[in-house]
Amino acid sequence: MEKERGRIMSKKLISLADCCMAFDGELVLDHINLYFNDSEFLTLLGPSGCGKTTTLRIIGGFLTPTSGEVLFDGVRINDIPPNLRQVNTVFQRYALFPHLNVFENVAFGLRVPKTETVGGRKRKVKISEEEIRQRVLEMLEVVSLKGFESRRITELSGGQQQRVAIARALVNRPKVLLLDEPLGALDLRLRKDMQSELKRIQQQLGITFIYVTHDQEEALAMSDTIVVMDGGRIQQIGTPEDIYNEPKNAFVADFIGESNILDGVMHEDFVVEFFNRKFKCLDKGFAPMEPVDVVIRPEDVDIVPPEKGQLKGTVTSVTFKGVHYDTIVDFKGFKWLIQTTDYHPEGETIGIILNPDDIHIMHKSQYSGMFGDYSSYSEEYDELEDVSLLEEDGEDEE
Amino acid sequence: MKKTNRGGSRFLIGLMFLFLYLPIFLLIIFSFNAGDSSAVWRGFSLHWYSELFGNRLIMESLYMTLLVSLLATVISTAAGTFAAIGLYSLSRRKRDALLVINDIPMMNADIVTGVSLCLFFVAFFQGWGAFAKWINGMQSAFELPTRLTLGFGTLLLAHIAFNIPYVILNVAPRLRQMDRNLVDAAQDLGCTWMQAFWRVILPEIKPGIVSGALIAFTMSVDDFVISYFTAGSSTSTLSMAIYGMTKRRITPEINAVSTLLFLTVLTLLVIVNVREARQERRSASMEPRKLTWMEHLAVRTSGPRWKWVKRGAGAAMACCFVAVVMFLTGATSSRPVVNVCSLGEYIDTDLITQFEEETGIRVNYQTVESNETLYSLLKSGGADYDVVVTSDYMIAKFIEEDMLETLDYGNIPNFELMDERFTNLYFDPENQYTVPYTWGTLGIIYNTSMVEEEITSWSALYDDKYAGNVLLINNSRDALAEALFYLGYSANTTDASEIREAFALIADANRRGVFQGKVSDEVFQKMEGGNAAIATYYAGDYLTMAENNEDLAYVVPEEGSNWFVDAMCVLKDAPHKLEAEMWINFIASTEANLANMDYIWYASPNREALEEYPAYYEELYGEELDQETYEIMAAPPEVLERCEVYENLPPETLQLYSQLWVELGT
Amino acid sequence: MKNKRSLFAVPYVGWMALFVVAPIVMVVIYAFSAASGGFTLEHFASMGTYASVFTRSFWLALLATLICLLIGYPAAYFISREGPRFQRVAMMLIMLPMWMNFLLRTYSWMSVLENNGLLNRFFSAIGLIGLVNGLFGTNLEYFPMINTQGAVVLGMVYNYLPFMILPIYSVIEKMDGSLLEAARDLGAGSGRVFWKVILPLSLPGVLSGVTMVFVPSVSTFAISRLLGGGTQMMLGDLIEQQFLGGAYNPHLGAAISLVMMVIVVVCMVVMNHFGDGEEQAVML
Repeated sequence: MEKERGRIMSKKLISLADCCMAFDGELVLDHINLYFNDSEFLTLLGPSGCGKTTTLRIIGGFLTPTSGEVLFDGVRINDIPPNLRQVNTVFQRYALFPHLNVFENVAFGLRVPKTETVGGRKRKVKISEEEIRQRVLEMLEVVSLKGFESRRITELSGGQQQRVAIARALVNRPKVLLLDEPLGALDLRLRKDMQSELKRIQQQLGITFIYVTHDQEEALAMSDTIVVMDGGRIQQIGTPEDIYNEPKNAFVADFIGESNILDGVMHEDFVVEFFNRKFKCLDKGFAPMEPVDVVIRPEDVDIVPPEKGQLKGTVTSVTFKGVHYDTIVDFKGFKWLIQTTDYHPEGETIGIILNPDDIHIMHKSQYSGMFGDYSSYSEEYDELEDVSLLEEDGEDEE
Repeated sequence: MKKTNRGGSRFLIGLMFLFLYLPIFLLIIFSFNAGDSSAVWRGFSLHWYSELFGNRLIMESLYMTLLVSLLATVISTAAGTFAAIGLYSLSRRKRDALLVINDIPMMNADIVTGVSLCLFFVAFFQGWGAFAKWINGMQSAFELPTRLTLGFGTLLLAHIAFNIPYVILNVAPRLRQMDRNLVDAAQDLGCTWMQAFWRVILPEIKPGIVSGALIAFTMSVDDFVISYFTAGSSTSTLSMAIYGMTKRRITPEINAVSTLLFLTVLTLLVIVNVREARQERRSASMEPRKLTWMEHLAVRTSGPRWKWVKRGAGAAMACCFVAVVMFLTGATSSRPVVNVCSLGEYIDTDLITQFEEETGIRVNYQTVESNETLYSLLKSGGADYDVVVTSDYMIAKFIEEDMLETLDYGNIPNFELMDERFTNLYFDPENQYTVPYTWGTLGIIYNTSMVEEEITSWSALYDDKYAGNVLLINNSRDALAEALFYLGYSANTTDASEIREAFALIADANRRGVFQGKVSDEVFQKMEGGNAAIATYYAGDYLTMAENNEDLAYVVPEEGSNWFVDAMCVLKDAPHKLEAEMWINFIASTEANLANMDYIWYASPNREALEEYPAYYEELYGEELDQETYEIMAAPPEVLERCEVYENLPPETLQLYSQLWVELGT
Repeated sequence: MKNKRSLFAVPYVGWMALFVVAPIVMVVIYAFSAASGGFTLEHFASMGTYASVFTRSFWLALLATLICLLIGYPAAYFISREGPRFQRVAMMLIMLPMWMNFLLRTYSWMSVLENNGLLNRFFSAIGLIGLVNGLFGTNLEYFPMINTQGAVVLGMVYNYLPFMILPIYSVIEKMDGSLLEAARDLGAGSGRVFWKVILPLSLPGVLSGVTMVFVPSVSTFAISRLLGGGTQMMLGDLIEQQFLGGAYNPHLGAAISLVMMVIVVVCMVVMNHFGDGEEQAVML
């Protein structure tokens, strides 16, 4: 439980126990153990193909796990079809019904007659037209779409469609709302607006949101809890601060924010060696002389004149990023990314100082050595974003 | 740039439409013709429209066409839609493989589809017959019908088979375009899969379904070739009826019924188009859209009150299915029926009505164009006739191949009225199988306004003088017999060299372009319209033609010719033997023979009728019957003397005939 | 969920096996068996006798297809350049004749083309026949039109022209307008745009149109009977004769059908090779 410290304590609503999912013999989810609390904003974060959408679809009831259990309020729901689950979904590209207008889209779930068993007898329950109207209008107000009732879906902007999709899912008063990369198709500005909007709605309604994204910024900005996934496994669960400050392995460190990851050796508690130098740090509990990964966030590095630095390096490239400069510095062939507000021209020799709380130590993992060097620095994740949409689609097809 | 071209391109488009619609306008115009020609205008009249509703053949085949097309459309649209949904949930490779098979009926030539289905059905029926006999022998609780034939059921199955691919082809792209998440979303919002289907999938793919259904219906209505091979003999669609008529003369009632159909569709299309245009305009002006009728239906019919309606609909569909199965097995014949097949249009149709009224037995009257065609039909299992009327030599063949049932002459007292000249003939020496129907001669019909001389010899058929104006009779037996007579051989020769010599005569004339065409019953329209000068056909038919064109003359050539007896017989295992014998007896009566003689102009084998006919004619028309006409109809002994009866030829000779005949076409 | 839905495909797969595959298997069985039973190749061996029917059928069908293409392509192209309303009405008018039975439409041509028919009457009324006789010293009473190969080709073109226009139109209509603009932008004149962009892009439509006209043309039997007067025997007539006509020999008929079917398959393969055009082809 130590790794999940800081998570808000309330009732467990949904849990996945030892869930595995295989498509055509290929393991997509590998023994997932996870629970979701009531009224929690939880984000499943990871690159495409990591299993986050599959997890979401299992909760939604669109997939049945190959093994393991899905529990809702302690009751096994593996075989309950999606239409009988108190869970609603906002789909990746909204999946609004093009043949219905805004009002009818939102009212869709209310118009479906439901069978209820009352006193051993099945009977169809229908919601009155008046109540439907009231609830739809109420929900449109929540998503700030009042007055759009009779618009056709095709006449709405992306952001408006997004809101309709949310209203449509929420009008059924689900206990849990699942959001599958809902902001992926929006432009940056709109995405930012919708982030705070979503957070507001979640707080206003007080229900659980399970949010799937590959965008770490989005995850950090909105979530109470983040679950980082890769390769069908959970890499880390924790609050945004925990995940950022105490990444559990090189993958998490690299995926959440920018980081320089170096090979190091833990000499004893609070002393780590890398670049043939010993540094003080705040970590303990490692075996003596254990090889470790050392994470240094680019913004934590202080640049000083070369003679004052613990390490000396040469600036190889500078990019202006608005608030700061991305400065790539070569230290004995290993390239670091350093974010500073001061400009250091290419070719300049600089020194750096690392404080003990700037250094994070992680156990070696399968991800060691895969990240860290910025010699081929590019906006890798910006590129990935577009690719991921297509790839996740491909996963759905089979 | 565009502006300058548009006038020219519109002119060309206009020309193309003129080409497409010119024949249609002609058909429509001539449906209002007072006369019965499709080329000569005799004034405006609605005559054919009123006549139409009394024409049983047309009305029945129209009903059959609409019934088959509607049923096939409904079934194939439903089945095709579900099949498309099923196909789209398969993996890509499997789906592509299945779609290739799906394309086969569309890409295959209609005739291949028709022939293959025909072969399949017939093979199935044979298998079924053995199976049913075995089952019936095993137990006695129920009895399976052992004799299945082509008919409504097979026709419907064939139509469904060629319609489904069109439906799938139209629904599939819609499914492909549909966001896969829509169904998930609906289920997420509380729909079961079925509810999601009705509320989301169906409205989404509706345009595809509608256009698929429209195409399927159009294809069904327009289809001729596949129906022709799968409908068998007792079922006839409009197309088949028209095909039957094109061989002789299209009665303008067909123009009338087609005009009505055409105008109905035109009106429907115009309405749909206007509505669509209006809808587009409305959506352009951003007016809120109302629920479509389908959504209304889905919403309205979800209440408990509708449960019984849905159950009723389900029951009705089940009933339909049962009905189809019953049709297929031929178990619907509660009212007695007799299926009759005859050569050409060879009966006074009033007799049919009269018989039906007298006995309550329904007569299903069909025609074939020649003896050989009848034989093919029977052999290919496409027919389920009880009574057939066919010629002497073909009867011999039927008897030889054990295709006929012996008659119970106790049920046919009128057989006594037959002239001995026409009974106990070579083909049925004991007279166990047949009752004569008509008799007559084969001869040359020529147009005196186009032929100067008086024709007396078969030589005229092969004469360059009349090149392009001679019609060759379109059946190998008659055509070769004519040449054999001309060469002085017997029409029954089995000497291959004589037959080849005769064939060479025809083939040579053909090469020289003497023949304008090969005709069967088309000869009526060609000769009456003055479109050819010389043809050979049967005496009775000449008299019919002469009624419409006074310039025509008939001669039995001096070299001799064929005289024939056509007789009625009952097929082996006929399901309605008793009714068949009643029909034969009715037709053999003197009254029926007189009426028939007057109608078809063929001589009767009934002694009394033959004698009484001149008097009958005089009474009916108030004028004396021309002796010459009477002698053409009932050839006097001196003419018959130089004529020969066809005998059934041995198989090798028949094969030679077929082979030569096909060669002539090549 | 998916497995459940794919169950919908099962009945159709069964249906296809029964009503698409099995009948074709029957044709193959018939083609390779003798009337008395047993395997034989004699039907294929005798195919040589009908070589002239094959060549005539293919020649006439090819001619009809070519003419359909020459009329249909410009028509489809011109229609696609008109406004949406015009296009819709034009498409409707092209489909509409199918509601007049094709035998009747063909029969109507008969009354036009007869020696004594409307066209000849018209020609003699305007003195054209006399003029021709005067010019060429011939002694014609009419122009022979019926029962010629020309009449058969005319019948084919008339009946199958819509099948050429529809697929070509649907391909041209769906063509991305920005492509044409791009071509113009790159300096191509309208002729060049047509030859270098529109024509290659519409090829799938052309190919499916060609198949859709050629296949029914080569196998027709009603048209050649009505307008060819039985003198222009085609493959369809030959097959029909073997089944329901005068020369009863279903085995030979099956063999001829099989040969024709192989030709259709070859057409399909060629078409698939060129492009995936057949899907739009039959769409309204």
